[in-house]
Amino acid sequence: MANIVLNSVSRTFQREGKDFLALDNVSFTCHEHEFVAVVGPSGCGKTTCMRMAAGLEFPDSGSVTVGGKVVNAPGPDRAVVFQQFALFPWKTVHDNILFGLRSMGVAKAEAAERIATNLKLMNLEGYESAYPHQLSGGMQQRVAIARAYVLNPDVLLMDEPFGALDAQTRTVMQEELLRVGRANPRTVMFITHAVDEAVYLADRVVVMTRRPGAIKEIIDIKPIRDAENWQQYERIEDVMDLASFVHLRTRIWRLLREQHNPGDH
Amino acid sequence: MGEKLDRNQLIWLSAMGLLIFFGLWTLAAWVELAPRKFLPLPWEVVERGLGLVTKPFSGQTLQGHLGASIERYLRGFVLAALIGVPLGLLMGWYRLLDHIVTPLFDSLRFIAPIAWVPFAALWFGTGIGGPTMIIFAGAFPPCLINAYRGARFVEKKYIEAAQVYGASGPRVVYEVLLPASLPSIIAGLRIGAGAGWQSLIGAELIAANTGIGLMMVRGQGALDTSIVMVGMIAVGVFGLIVDVALRGVESWVNRKQGR
Amino acid sequence: MKARRDPVRPIIGLATMLALVGFWLVGSKVGLIDPQSFPSPDQFWAAAKQLTIGDGYADGRIHSHVLQSLKLICLGFFTATAVGVPLGLWMGWSRKAEALINPIFLLIRPIPALAWIPLAIVWLGLGDAAKVMILWFAAFVPSVINSFTGVRNIERPIIEASAMLGARGWNLIKDVIVPGALPSIFTGLRLSLQGCLTALVAAELLGALLGMGKVLYQAGLDIYPAMILAGMVPVALVGFALTALIDWVERRSMPWRANH
Repeated sequence: MANIVLNSVSRTFQREGKDFLALDNVSFTCHEHEFVAVVGPSGCGKTTCMRMAAGLEFPDSGSVTVGGKVVNAPGPDRAVVFQQFALFPWKTVHDNILFGLRSMGVAKAEAAERIATNLKLMNLEGYESAYPHQLSGGMQQRVAIARAYVLNPDVLLMDEPFGALDAQTRTVMQEELLRVGRANPRTVMFITHAVDEAVYLADRVVVMTRRPGAIKEIIDIKPIRDAENWQQYERIEDVMDLASFVHLRTRIWRLLREQHNPGDH
Repeated sequence: MGEKLDRNQLIWLSAMGLLIFFGLWTLAAWVELAPRKFLPLPWEVVERGLGLVTKPFSGQTLQGHLGASIERYLRGFVLAALIGVPLGLLMGWYRLLDHIVTPLFDSLRFIAPIAWVPFAALWFGTGIGGPTMIIFAGAFPPCLINAYRGARFVEKKYIEAAQVYGASGPRVVYEVLLPASLPSIIAGLRIGAGAGWQSLIGAELIAANTGIGLMMVRGQGALDTSIVMVGMIAVGVFGLIVDVALRGVESWVNRKQGR
Repeated sequence: MKARRDPVRPIIGLATMLALVGFWLVGSKVGLIDPQSFPSPDQFWAAAKQLTIGDGYADGRIHSHVLQSLKLICLGFFTATAVGVPLGLWMGWSRKAEALINPIFLLIRPIPALAWIPLAIVWLGLGDAAKVMILWFAAFVPSVINSFTGVRNIERPIIEASAMLGARGWNLIKDVIVPGALPSIFTGLRLSLQGCLTALVAAELLGALLGMGKVLYQAGLDIYPAMILAGMVPVALVGFALTALIDWVERRSMPWRANH
């Protein structure tokens, strides 16, 4: 079962010679095929949680497991979509998407088929031989998502994937992610600081506090979404108009506000 | 990328590296891979260097030769900086000057500085003037190019901001253009300092009557490898001191400007 | 320097060059330029003819000098960069390799290439071997440093993405490390080449049978200003041609770069 489990995870960083607690006893689970968004102010350690699941960082105490196995290195079974896309600038769109498949030793014919499927899924047909710098930010992020999806990963880890995009592109990408996610459900950990985005996309939202980074509350979205049948609306703005959406958003905002200390900035 | 090493590992590996280097050298000299005259033991080189401090070789002690080299070096380098930096800045600010000088500069810059040695000796002799010109030829291009780039590519927003807030003429130069170009100017000085020092050694090897380069050539003539090595060490150490000092200035400026 | 689209630029440039050449022609005629210090156009022309199609100078005509120099540059440049670039990449990738090798490298690095000349001559004599050794050190240091920084400057997310996608071993080197460091590697190669040219001329000025530096050396000895000037022309042309060659290879090998 491809779930992500953080169990009593703590992590201390050193900054300017002083220790500070980045994550304090954090536990939560992303169940199989569940979309979990983690929100919190900058510096609350939400990205660190994702990086631990990816195997890019490790806890000082506690454990991080994916599919029951302790994470000890990055790998293509846990595809990461980075905020700054992290496409290889020296590879074409096609070769960027092919990269992970080659590491996995996927046969040529199958790789070609999977790439074609994902190019279509992400509306990238016709851009196979373009280099990343020739594409807009939104297109680059489509490539990065295709590069992750093509691996058929058990889990998807997304670190503020739309943070670097302009508002309109962002909206389009959110709608597409939801569409793609419905067609191919995955276990997703989605890091963001945008509350709207979290409520719109996620089945559950983990709200974090900072200093030290800890979990404030975990909010279930899915039951409300299903009850109010958000799926009938195609556009994000229609969903955002619903009283149930506004209510959830306000609730999360309050949680984030409560911890806001005016002296911090 | 490999994981960061902890302190102990770092010290241990670095010590091992040095040990391998000096160990192999000592071993090669010990078994006389080449006659001792050609491959002295490390401590023989040190001994030779210390001896040269009191006992003159080719008319000068080690510090005497080094002093003569440094004097020439400073003349050539200061001249290159005094002409190269302002010229580069002016070229960056005034299109016309840029158009006039750049083609000349471009047509000369592919000539290795050391190729000026015969003309330098012909025009200025082999005493102070000739080597000074070679140092100039080595240090001038980096000083000029970097000052030019610094001035040419000052971000427009700074100039516009200065104009919006009513600065004009000299104030724009002193308060905006110069500080904005400074990091590039310093980088040019540092590169020029290295190139000038290397050119000086070359010039002294070929045509000079004193200096560390001459000492090395004489050591070479006498097949005295330890003198040659002492010269290499002296050249390396002085070059390193200049480089570290200018790097310090460079990072100080960058820090001050928050880059 | 960066060329810009500006219609007056080539005109002014051409005018400046013509003015200088004019000054040279006229100045030499009316005695403004002393032919003992700087040759007149006629003298230069004669020396150039002697060097190219006449009897030659310093034991050879221009092609034998240039070929000899090119041979040494190729030997020095390729053997040095063939060792230096992989070494720099390795040190950039592995902190352990860096810790082990860097101290030794730091001992060599501050010594200018030209300071190796006397040692090379003591060890290997005045023949080609000594010159290749000098050129080797001239090209080695910049190729190591720039390959090293090239790897270190690869953006962190790129490294993390390649780890996430499971790149390992040869694929990691070929698909991530080398292309990521390539711009910096080329900076290093260009510096290596410049170092080689300087070291070559210096080494040949100190003693050689043939070569571009030999021409300059002989002309200096003979106090033959016209030949000094004629001898500097191939130095500049070879420098220009080799730099242009590296630029060309660089453009060809990085088709993904935005500006070309």
